[in-house]
Amino acid sequence: MLEPVRTMLLRAENIRMAFGGFLAVADAGLEVAEGEIVGLIGPNGAGKSTFFNCLAGDLKPSAGRVLFEETDITEASPEAHAALGIGRTFQVPATFEEMTILENVMVGAFLRHPREKEAREAARRALALTGLDRLAEHKAKSLGTPGRKRLGIARVMATEPRLVLLDEALAGLNPAEIRQAIELVRVIHRSGVTLVIVEHIMEVILTLAERIVVFNEGRVIAEGKPREIVNDPAVIDAYLGRSHARRAHQP
Amino acid sequence: MPRKPIIGWLALAAVLIGFPLVFTGAYYEQLAAFVILSAISASAWNLVGGYAGQVSVGHAVFFGAGAYMPLLFYKLWEASPLLGFPAGIAVSVVIAVVIGVPTFRLSGHYFSMATIAVAELIRILVSDWDFLGGAIGLMGPATSRGWWDLVYRSSVPYYYIFLAVLAVLLYITHRMERSRLGYYLRAIRAGERAARSLGVPVSRYKLYALMLSAGFTSLAGSLYAVKFGFVDPGSTLGILVSVQMVVMAALGGAGRLLGPLLGAIILVPLQTTTNTFFGGAGTGLAFILYGGIIMLLSRFEPGGLLELWERYQARREARMAKERALVGAGEDHAA
Repeated sequence: MLEPVRTMLLRAENIRMAFGGFLAVADAGLEVAEGEIVGLIGPNGAGKSTFFNCLAGDLKPSAGRVLFEETDITEASPEAHAALGIGRTFQVPATFEEMTILENVMVGAFLRHPREKEAREAARRALALTGLDRLAEHKAKSLGTPGRKRLGIARVMATEPRLVLLDEALAGLNPAEIRQAIELVRVIHRSGVTLVIVEHIMEVILTLAERIVVFNEGRVIAEGKPREIVNDPAVIDAYLGRSHARRAHQP
Repeated sequence: MPRKPIIGWLALAAVLIGFPLVFTGAYYEQLAAFVILSAISASAWNLVGGYAGQVSVGHAVFFGAGAYMPLLFYKLWEASPLLGFPAGIAVSVVIAVVIGVPTFRLSGHYFSMATIAVAELIRILVSDWDFLGGAIGLMGPATSRGWWDLVYRSSVPYYYIFLAVLAVLLYITHRMERSRLGYYLRAIRAGERAARSLGVPVSRYKLYALMLSAGFTSLAGSLYAVKFGFVDPGSTLGILVSVQMVVMAALGGAGRLLGPLLGAIILVPLQTTTNTFFGGAGTGLAFILYGGIIMLLSRFEPGGLLELWERYQARREARMAKERALVGAGEDHAA
């Protein structure tokens, strides 16, 4: 069966990131097609978070470049990324604590809707999408970890992005919360948003991602469909361990 | 429910408009005028220090620019001090850009440090500059040549002018709270990194807030100059002027519409009393008073008195709801 031809949305080429003498990312690249869900995995310290921050504009790589629809955005600021349609969430949800949940989301909505009334309506839509609408008038600080992660997603969705970079959106959640969060990611994907997900929880990446990129020691060591990745000897050595590979083989 | 805030606003307006009619006498009138003037400068500070969370400790430089300009216009050309008002605002906005553009790119306390440094530098320069009267300062017109001189014997006309300016400033602030600028400033205060990720041009919006704040602080300085008819470096450019704005806003509630007004209503009479009792030693006492307030606030109530009140209200409502639920349960049992 032929795969439908998809346009390239994001491309990172030969990214290298050094902090003083420490090389966090040696040489890494990534291509993301419109409509894809790409997973970024790797052991702690593999450089995937640094790479991720280079994609989001939070870090400027020492070498290499990042293209969004063939426009060079390597030097662009985080706010310029948002304006272009690249949203991101944070591993530790940086909610605006003293503002209500609705107001938090409105900050994102103002990007496309400068008038307060329209921003409020757009924010309400994002809250409905993420299932937070009932809590709209509560302060953000009243939320627990799952709620905060959800708010982070609602906020970025209010910026009406084409690509969302999810930074460990599921870390710190219990199994039931993870199932709900996975469902939320699927809803967002179905709404037409392309996703790049950094995640530690292997099962999550295997269920969600269409394609997985594996990092180790600042380099991409494997790339492919989830089934290919769990069988890749290099990946098994670096990250998964033999037992996981066996489990993945079981039907 | 929607009627309640309007009643509150009308009551506040009635009290402020009626105050000089009830409390007559030069002492009360002067005190009331000074309360409103302090509320203007603290509310202006609040735009950048409260809402945007960029704590300036050098707002005296804007206050001073506003205070000197009208009297400089009078000294040079015997012009109406009113003509100096826009000049003061223009100078202040330029200084705001000069301070803001380099420091707002950096995060942390660079901005606070830069504001102190610039304000002290300018105070020292002005003290040594004969063109601006040096350490002695400048005088305004002694007697009124017409309404445009804004010279009145009584404090009451000044009180109402100040009150009108405060009303305009609070109205603008209120509108800002409900606009993109207001939301962006609060987001910047809460977390710059997250704000940027949502498309907020952080340095640009901080600069807008500082420019707006500088303009209104300058206006407060100009009003001070026409009211007192004389300015000198110590009373308009000194660090105490800046600290006073910070403490008033923080005491009432920084980043809240009425916080600075509440702070001014409490602090100005307190300060005037200490000055009356201790005379020349009062200046030093003000520092001790401000230091004490800053310590108490940062230890017990960083949100200021308005937040304390809100929390008390919330607790009371929760308790009443609980009592109602208990009474309801009791009735069920009886039935």
